Amino acid sequence: MPFPLHVPRVNNNDDVVKITDLSVKEGDFVRRGQIVGSVETDKAVVDVEAESEGHVLKVIVRKGDTSPVGSVFLWLGAGADEPIPETPAPMAATAATVAVAGQPTAKARALLKELGVSAADIPCAGDRLTVADIENWLAEPGRGVSSRSRAPAPETEEIPDVDGEYEELSPEAHGMMMTVQWHRDRAAPAYLEIEYDTGPWQEHASRFAKRHKLMLPPLMPLMALRLVEIAKATPRLNAAIVDGRCYRYRPVNLGFTVQVGEALYLTVVRDAQDMDARRFLDAMGDVQRRAMAHKLRASELAGATIAFSSMARWNVSRHIPILPPRTGLIVAHAAPRDSARAVLGVTYDHRLLSGFDVVRALERLAQPPEADL
Amino acid sequence: MNLDRNAIKAAIRAKVIELARALKMDASGIGDEDVIPATGLLDSTAILELVVWFEQAYDLPLRQDEINIDNLGSINAMTDFLLARKGRAPGS
Repeated sequence: MPFPLHVPRVNNNDDVVKITDLSVKEGDFVRRGQIVGSVETDKAVVDVEAESEGHVLKVIVRKGDTSPVGSVFLWLGAGADEPIPETPAPMAATAATVAVAGQPTAKARALLKELGVSAADIPCAGDRLTVADIENWLAEPGRGVSSRSRAPAPETEEIPDVDGEYEELSPEAHGMMMTVQWHRDRAAPAYLEIEYDTGPWQEHASRFAKRHKLMLPPLMPLMALRLVEIAKATPRLNAAIVDGRCYRYRPVNLGFTVQVGEALYLTVVRDAQDMDARRFLDAMGDVQRRAMAHKLRASELAGATIAFSSMARWNVSRHIPILPPRTGLIVAHAAPRDSARAVLGVTYDHRLLSGFDVVRALERLAQPPEADL
Repeated sequence: MNLDRNAIKAAIRAKVIELARALKMDASGIGDEDVIPATGLLDSTAILELVVWFEQAYDLPLRQDEINIDNLGSINAMTDFLLARKGRAPGS
């Protein structure tokens, strides 16, 4: 019986993705886990893997298409000659893409809701209704909906009066730009930090590494796991402000920054609240190795509910991280070499958390668990 | 892929030196039996880079439970592990 492989969701913000590569064709036999293509959003390029083995019966998408998340990427079958169900064929797939034309992006939907305005009232300049479309519409003379506090964004920036040329941003750089814009436009970020004594944590990590004969120093992963445990015990930390309301996440999905060359990934270990220390370290090790090889899965690049970042490698004394979209806090660790001073800081969304909440969490994080893991 | 024991050791040593140099450390004196994480020449990211390089250079996908001091802790351990996984006698 034929079965579809769907266009994956890469992140919560993007309901469509661009098909950037197809590496199989009809008639090919693919194995489970084999890469059949890749898709791109503003944030990342990720591989699409076959979820089961089978013969490629029909490839629905085309390279360069913009396709809705969840639509059929291709059909697989146990036999090479199985008929596929009556579903979008290549032209129909294009129609499916066209069907989303004019629909608001996730950010535009949030803004429409905030304004109490219907998408149907606003002209759409491109394929989808964007925040820029709404802001242009708001800026029109005599527009009744002008009570919004923030000023409309300028339509375009002037080109600098100095000779130069544009260079396209890489997907990673574009993703960082979008993250920073969320931090600026949506959150009320604040930062505070405490100094802490590294001794107890170093001893705890050293004992753990010795007991498990670890190759990689476990200090940062163990501190990240401690953050997971604190978030599990304090649900308000594992939350975000969405549409003016507190959205409490059920799982604790730990985001952890990994710098690979010039790319900075926020890798994600999902459902970390259910893991013991060894399982968590193994999961984080797997994700970090895939990051190093630029082979992260879509699920490992999205969905962080809380985050941890360390710049100890660069010997910085203070590190104020950008808040990842739809999280309430990100912990920053800094431990300058040749200094007795080590710092745990937090960037947090002040709409969600108070300084008191954050200091209490940091004080707990500064202490390793009483029992050895 | 050269699976000569001395060639493997030389390649691993060169990679350790390269990774240490990026951290402004001199690893040229590292011994074959020195426990790499204990030398302080590489930080956790550099050790991770070493492991990923080892997997890719020798087409040797590793399970997380194989990434430990016994298997990968020193130049000799990495060499022995690679040769054993490739079906070669470590001493050959």
